[in-house]
Amino acid sequence: MTGFRTRWFSRVGRGDGAVGGFLAHRAGVAGAVVLAVAALVAVIAPLFIPADALDVTRVSDAPWQAPGLGHWLGTDHAGRSVALLVVQGAGTSLFVGLTAAVLSVGIGTLVGIVSGHFGGLAAGVLLRVTDFFLVLPALVLAIALSTVLPRGLGTIVLAIGLTSWPSTARMVRAQTLTIEARPFVERARALGGGHGHVIGRHVLPSVLPLVLVNATLAVASAIVAESTLAFLGLGDPTRISWGAMVHQAQLHGAVPQRAWWYLLPPGLAIVVVVLAFTLVGRALEAVVTPKR
Amino acid sequence: MIKPSLELKNLSVHYGHKRVVHDVNLALEPGQTLGLAGESGSGKSTVAMSVLRLLPRTAHVEGEILLDGDDVRTMSWGRLRAVRWASASIVFQGAMHSLNPVQRVGEQIAEPMRLHGTGGSVGELLEQVELPLGKARAYPHELSGGQKQRVMIAMALACGPRLVIADEPTTALDVVVQAQVLGVLKRLVAEQDLGLLMISHDLSVLAETCDDLAVMHRGELVERGRTREVIANPRHPHTAALTAAFPVIGDPAHRWAEPAPEPQPLLEVRDLAVDYGRTRAVDGVDLTIGRGEIVALVGQSGSGKTTLARTIMGLRTPSSGRVIFDGVEVPRKGKALKAFRRQVQLVLQDPASALNPRHTVHDAVAEGLRVHGLADDEESQVTAAVERAELRPASLYLEALPHELSGGQQQRVVIAGALVLQPRLLVADEPVASLDASVRGEIVALLLRLRRELGLASLIITHDLGLAWQIADRVAVMHQGKIVEQGSVEQVLLNPTHDYTRALLRAVPQV
Repeated sequence: MTGFRTRWFSRVGRGDGAVGGFLAHRAGVAGAVVLAVAALVAVIAPLFIPADALDVTRVSDAPWQAPGLGHWLGTDHAGRSVALLVVQGAGTSLFVGLTAAVLSVGIGTLVGIVSGHFGGLAAGVLLRVTDFFLVLPALVLAIALSTVLPRGLGTIVLAIGLTSWPSTARMVRAQTLTIEARPFVERARALGGGHGHVIGRHVLPSVLPLVLVNATLAVASAIVAESTLAFLGLGDPTRISWGAMVHQAQLHGAVPQRAWWYLLPPGLAIVVVVLAFTLVGRALEAVVTPKR
Repeated sequence: MIKPSLELKNLSVHYGHKRVVHDVNLALEPGQTLGLAGESGSGKSTVAMSVLRLLPRTAHVEGEILLDGDDVRTMSWGRLRAVRWASASIVFQGAMHSLNPVQRVGEQIAEPMRLHGTGGSVGELLEQVELPLGKARAYPHELSGGQKQRVMIAMALACGPRLVIADEPTTALDVVVQAQVLGVLKRLVAEQDLGLLMISHDLSVLAETCDDLAVMHRGELVERGRTREVIANPRHPHTAALTAAFPVIGDPAHRWAEPAPEPQPLLEVRDLAVDYGRTRAVDGVDLTIGRGEIVALVGQSGSGKTTLARTIMGLRTPSSGRVIFDGVEVPRKGKALKAFRRQVQLVLQDPASALNPRHTVHDAVAEGLRVHGLADDEESQVTAAVERAELRPASLYLEALPHELSGGQQQRVVIAGALVLQPRLLVADEPVASLDASVRGEIVALLLRLRRELGLASLIITHDLGLAWQIADRVAVMHQGKIVEQGSVEQVLLNPTHDYTRALLRAVPQV
């Protein structure tokens, strides 16, 4: 199908009204700015941080220093700078959040479209599986998975992705059913279009905006899930993430030390980034959902 | 002189810079029945909604709207609430969407009485609209379209208004039910001496019901007079176009189809049956369509005509019987079915929903070519099909999105999308039902021209006997899954032999 790509992009290009619509949502724009800064920090900052500064065995500063001129956010139990740890942790949190969300939304979209489009026995089975995952407490399942599988980032992504797709699947299925009931799908069938044609040309383009919105919201919950797992000590021990920092702080007695500067910054970072993703998601939702 | 129950003086309505209604003057005396005709976008519904101040906030209303001498525009909120429904009430368009699906209809009829503290019983109202008392306990989905519309009428009469505004009260109903609902409305208006302002795009419906007729065009009132006189001697060209658009069965001037030569069979349906679960939707149907022949399949909604068409196209699997196309049985699956679908194309009723709102005209027309892998030289094939469907020059339309086109243009795009595959049979499901009167004639003429130039046969599914008279060579009448009568148009429509055909013909409103 020559020219398919360019045509598709030109159609997306027509959606410049959508960009304007998004810009009208101030909270969404603010969220997008925060995300851009966070992403930039996560990518660039590690290049400037000397490896020594984050290695427990090599740091020479005194532990449990309060925030001051030397270390803006104080130091941790080993004398590392909390500010550098927060910056370093941004990458892990964002990476896990994004990949887990992509995995979860991908599975959800696939299951949703297949069960919505084909119907029949396959759809019945898929829906029961969806229901099963829906009622299963996701966190418990994720904990179980991360204890069984080898420790590592991949495991965490898998654990989060495999437990959070059912709501996406339900939503995509509902949207698929709505689209399939439209006369233009019947027209496509009458033209001779098969399953691939109907899904690829009619269902998917109509579902994608919603999926996109869902993905942004999924990133937010995936970041929270990653932090939770890390806080419970199930994260990748070789990497610094915000959840892992809170875990370490709790483990080494930041509370009895009254070292609020160790607990608060990673916690706030999680809150700000999750809030930013949610704001962007809600703004996108308002843009792609037709009024009335 | 009697004080008019409704008087509009220099009424104008703007939405931003867009003028929807311009300087309309209209008076309605108590007990008078007035039909307001016009095409979509002529401003007729806006006029109706302005009477009870039901327009959205963005509407800018100028002029006077006097309801029993009081200006609706300047009424206090409390007074307006008292006037709504008690002085004037509305029968809304589309009863299916105007009833609350989770409330019993009895409660919904009683709602205005409760709000206004007026007496009266739901039972009495139901009796007036000829519904059994037990229906008060029914939910809307348990009622048929005609019954729902009667509930809407009962609701409008609940507070004893002096004026009823009916906005396209029968548009979604088929002829037989339409005749019943119009009969109820007419009787009630006469018995209770109500004023009636009825809005419709269908002149024949207004002619059935109203003594006076007003015609709107592009926001202006272009003609007003006694119904008979306006229809017999239209003074404004738009009125003339509206009257001409509704064919009179039996009038040779409205018979546009030229006699077809004795055709060889193209499609044969033999003893076809289709079941939905336990319901038999199509029951032992035999039907033949010749090469280049136009056959009208008429019947009420629920008669199985749409199911029959879907089955012919291979979109449904028959329970038994055969469909033979050009001497070969229609394949039921795989590549052969796909190839068959090139030969038979579908034109749907509502072009607005038959086109994917995200696809340009070019994409919509080229869809069939891409599906069948005929995309080489796509550009010229698409252009040719679009011009065949009389969208000229094609370059003006190819990059347009459906919502940028009018209803008639959208239907032409759908037809172009069918033509591009060079089919031999067109199955058209109510091809003109959702189009405006003036466009309707153009689409009918287009279908006839395609037959003349390309030898394209058509199966036209419709409940509109006038359309059948206008376009078809033969008519098949379908009732409860069976074809009860078929033959040439003249034979079936002028000398019907089956009772059901006669009942259908009787129900057609006469201009």
